[in-house]
Amino acid sequence: MNIAAILSSLIFIVSLVFIFSEKINRSIAGIAGAVFMVGVGRILGFYSEEAALEVIDFNTLGLLLGMMILVAMLEPTGFFQYIAVWAARASRGKPVRLFVLLGSITTILSMFLDNVTTVVLIAPVTILICEILGISPLPYLMAEALLSDTGGVATLVGDPPNVLIGSAAGFSFVDFLVYSLPIVAVAWVATLVLLRFLFRNELSKRPHNAEAVMSLNPTESLDQPKVARRILIVLGVAILLFFVHHTLHISPAFIAVSAAAVGLIWVQPDIQELFRKVEWSVLIFFAALFVMVGGLEAAGVLGSIVGLMERLSSIPPIWFGVSLIWIVAVLSAVIDNVPITIALIPVIRGLGVAGMDVDPLWWALAFGAGFGGNGTIIGSTANIIVATLSEKTRSPITSQLWIRRGLPVMLLTCAIASLLYAIFYRWF
Amino acid sequence: MVISKYMKHKVVSIPVTSTIREAAAVFVKNHVGLLPVLDKNDKPIGVLGLRGLLTLELPDFVNMIADLDFVHDFGAVETTRPSAEMLGKSVKTLMEPVITVEEGTGLLRAYALMLQHNLHDIPVVSKDGKLTGIASRVDIGIAILSAWEEVV
Repeated sequence: MNIAAILSSLIFIVSLVFIFSEKINRSIAGIAGAVFMVGVGRILGFYSEEAALEVIDFNTLGLLLGMMILVAMLEPTGFFQYIAVWAARASRGKPVRLFVLLGSITTILSMFLDNVTTVVLIAPVTILICEILGISPLPYLMAEALLSDTGGVATLVGDPPNVLIGSAAGFSFVDFLVYSLPIVAVAWVATLVLLRFLFRNELSKRPHNAEAVMSLNPTESLDQPKVARRILIVLGVAILLFFVHHTLHISPAFIAVSAAAVGLIWVQPDIQELFRKVEWSVLIFFAALFVMVGGLEAAGVLGSIVGLMERLSSIPPIWFGVSLIWIVAVLSAVIDNVPITIALIPVIRGLGVAGMDVDPLWWALAFGAGFGGNGTIIGSTANIIVATLSEKTRSPITSQLWIRRGLPVMLLTCAIASLLYAIFYRWF
Repeated sequence: MVISKYMKHKVVSIPVTSTIREAAAVFVKNHVGLLPVLDKNDKPIGVLGLRGLLTLELPDFVNMIADLDFVHDFGAVETTRPSAEMLGKSVKTLMEPVITVEEGTGLLRAYALMLQHNLHDIPVVSKDGKLTGIASRVDIGIAILSAWEEVV
């Protein structure tokens, strides 16, 4: 190993330690790491500012930015509240029916919208519904966190690792619907059934105030119906365009940013207020990770890892893929899945260049990163958000509870993904 | 115009050793909105507000949902009561820091303090820090307004 490889690995590892230990805000640690990487790269001659700019995947950033703007416009309209209230009325206050409806709504919404936004907006209304029914909100909140992660795996725009993988592997929106959605559909039903069993005591309690739920008025819960309608139309058209983006040769990022532009023109919101809701720190964190991983690649570190992995090519490819699902899943359960995905992308690309069939590996990465986050209370941002919110209530979600009720879901969904992956391997 | 002239001299207060259940009974009996909490030397070390007690019963969602207009029936929450264990806890768990004024404080200064700290009542203390009275916004406001009659 040369000095460039050693120093760049050191910068990356130290930055990751700071990011995961949360001693420093992850965006700050990211920026510092990226600057160090470029600085050292320039001195030693393996990296430059131009090279760093080139490795930033603007397709990922554009897609995330466009979707963030659309969701930020949809957020204050009360649309999410409306949907949850509708579910509460449709359930007629019956716990299991409410559980399936709220869980499924969260799954479907997170297929197209940011998981975190979905749970941030659905969870408070869930607590409201449970309190007026006089039942524990725990099963519902946990189902929402777990299913928002699960639903996100289904589409190209569902969660950040998919956006990254789609962009790196050149997978289209339809590819995700063909290869990922069916597995997610099975995982979704399995998650509901498993949670129904794990929370059987809580869910069998009959609420005595079912009629209070019927007095919730969905129309009144929708604060800005006109704005909501406009954003939903724009989102709907964007999703339709996602279906054909490959045929039309336009990038998902261009569709998302265009949709955001149309939405902004049509609604004309207070732009300062709207931009406060866009998570710039996430975009900067992504860019910083791209720059750091680019440095690792330029210093030849990833090349050595690819070389090491090639020696494992005697392992049957199915086992290689299934192992990747589980390794990534376990890593994603304890640390953020975005850095893992960004770091593994050049490795898988390298294996492809070396002649390996890497399409199945991209999918293994997507399943592992997506389902793995369910394993612990800190496994995904959606989990952290729901847990933090529940701490403000009388029934907080603890990490022990998550181990008992969330970890089994992660194990089951990863097992389902592995099984279906192995059975249908030759189609991947 | 100093506050001691317009304050109520009879102040209902509770000792710091009280439980939440005892405090609630004092609120009910005297129909007041604020109770100064006194140490063993009769010095106020905190206040207990009606609002603080009621948070025990307020549902969690109230602080999470911006606009509650669409919720017409609070259902099960309406009949929820704090647990016996909660009511047995010391008033210290719900006590808030106290802001007092001395007897010689001018009315406008007292009123401004109440506005700034969003208080409805302000305990008044003697020079050695002992509780001697309490004045409400109405007590102070009416005292200020009554001086306007002298304007010709």
